Amino acid sequence: MKLIQYTFRKLAFPLLIVMAVWATAFYFLILYEIDDETNDSLQNYKEIIIKQFLSDSTALANHPDIMTRYQIREIPAKDANLSEDVFYDSTKYIEIEMEFEPIRVLRSNFMDANGKYYELVIETSTLEKEDLIETILFSIIILYLVLLVCILLVNRYVFKKSFRPLYTILDWLKKFRPDKPIEPLNNDTPIEEFAILNEGITDASKRSSALYEQQKQFVENASHEMQTPLAVCLNKLELLSENPDCTQEQLTEIADIHQTLGGIVKMNKSLLLLSRIENKQFADTETVSINAITKKIIQDFSDIYEEKQIKISVSENASLKYIMNESLATILIKNIVKNAFVHNIADGEINITISENTFSIENTGNCPELNKEKLFRRFAKQTDNNKSTGLGLAIVQSIILTYKISITYHYTGKHQFVLTFR
Amino acid sequence: MKILIVEDDRSLREIMIRSLEKERYVVESAADYQEASLKLNDYDYDCVVLDVMLPGGSGLTLLEELKKMHKKESVIIVSAKDSIEDKVTGLDLGADDYLTKPFHLAELNARIKSIIRRNQQDGEINIELANITVYPDRHAVYINNEELILNRKEFDLLYYFVTNPNRLISKSALAESVWGDYIDQTDSFDFIYSQVKNLRKKLKTAGATPEIKAVYGFGYKMTDEE
Repeated sequence: MKLIQYTFRKLAFPLLIVMAVWATAFYFLILYEIDDETNDSLQNYKEIIIKQFLSDSTALANHPDIMTRYQIREIPAKDANLSEDVFYDSTKYIEIEMEFEPIRVLRSNFMDANGKYYELVIETSTLEKEDLIETILFSIIILYLVLLVCILLVNRYVFKKSFRPLYTILDWLKKFRPDKPIEPLNNDTPIEEFAILNEGITDASKRSSALYEQQKQFVENASHEMQTPLAVCLNKLELLSENPDCTQEQLTEIADIHQTLGGIVKMNKSLLLLSRIENKQFADTETVSINAITKKIIQDFSDIYEEKQIKISVSENASLKYIMNESLATILIKNIVKNAFVHNIADGEINITISENTFSIENTGNCPELNKEKLFRRFAKQTDNNKSTGLGLAIVQSIILTYKISITYHYTGKHQFVLTFR
Repeated sequence: MKILIVEDDRSLREIMIRSLEKERYVVESAADYQEASLKLNDYDYDCVVLDVMLPGGSGLTLLEELKKMHKKESVIIVSAKDSIEDKVTGLDLGADDYLTKPFHLAELNARIKSIIRRNQQDGEINIELANITVYPDRHAVYINNEELILNRKEFDLLYYFVTNPNRLISKSALAESVWGDYIDQTDSFDFIYSQVKNLRKKLKTAGATPEIKAVYGFGYKMTDEE
């Protein structure tokens, strides 16, 4: 979600609540005000009617007007209550309009000079509440929509004007790569916050470039520091083995050490490869043909694992081409195919299917379904094959993370890995 | 044949000297940039084995200097850096070969021989061992002047044996040399056994005098003495 959408949503919802509360309050306020006014006018009217009635009791007994009607009737003394006026809402059928209209009623008692008690009922047409609610609701909705549009426009304007430095920084950050020289960030701004951000980001990127450089140096140095002593050990053993005084037992021991050391050498190389991939040191890309790479690799592995007599089938439904680093493509396919050979059984099977954007490989094997969670972790070996380094699939993982490639693992009697190239 | 080894690690330097002296080369060594620079200025060598990271400067700078002096030395870079960019940089500067540490002594041997042969002989280049003659450039093998047909892998194995005669070669060195990167993490080297067996049979049938002997658990040795 973009910042502008986010702020808009964050404003729209509270505004809706505020408007609803306001509409309700407004409705009751208006209603109260109207009732109050009607009551006042009814009261005034009552004073006038009573005064006229007392001066001439025959003149104004009833008055059937449309807007205001009143009736006066005599009541027994015990029912009379002179101290209180009663107001209430009611409805009356109006023949002209052919419907019930709301009315406000005042009921009051009074006494004439003869000591007779009368009841006066005054009715006046009043406001229709439904109409009022409808009007208020309608105007509030209009107001809400108008406000939203205003907010949207103002937001747009504000974002475009005052957040320009932010977007400049974002564009610059998108282009930033620690392994490439840093472009100057041209982003002059009078706004203090953005100036601080400019400074912070420039500093951080410089630091991260420096760290990247240091790490690269460290990888190279670590490589050098490890490889030379390893070379010394390996070569000393080779010289020792050529010594004619060596007995057969000693040679066997030397061979053992030599092979173990070879394992360490390979592990060291794999670890260095991993850090190089993770440091994105394989930057050059070209269009590689996965089909061609696969065929070459299959040929070489078939030689090496000849004694396993594995049946290999490659079905190419399409030519799979992908833009990536060529060495990485080879390492990726090599590691996956190698797994299928190494963990296979004698007289087993390997089936490879290449389609337009997937590379699928399945192989027979001794071990049951593998734990998907641990599959791509470093040194998380799930077989007791002590000659594997436990880094093969970790290397695969780090390569696919560099590109838009995904990998899935299924087990249906055979182990199946599917690479999807996007 | 004079070889200069430029390597700052004392142990590795001494091992390389001992190994190359077995091949009857005259071997000299330099431990840092200055020493190497002086020796390269004052003497001529047939081959220089050059480490890249040296105290006092880079081996690559040394290589540039060497090329500026228009000297004919062949150069093999021996480096712990094994990225493609490093290799390309080294070869672009005029190195003849690039070997990544750690390496097998047999491999170093084979590379040095191949380079010296390329630079010194005119016409067709071959290697002879007793009655075996190998033409590396056209992958041909003759025994008593009769051609022996070998497949690609068998030829690679034989080539490695004839460049390292009478030396014990470990299975891993053979595997890495013949199958390259593919045996990177391979568990067993059993596949070498059957390949060597085939090669041995073919050599014997063709009447080759040098023999490939298995040294149990370790590897193989080609001997040309009766």
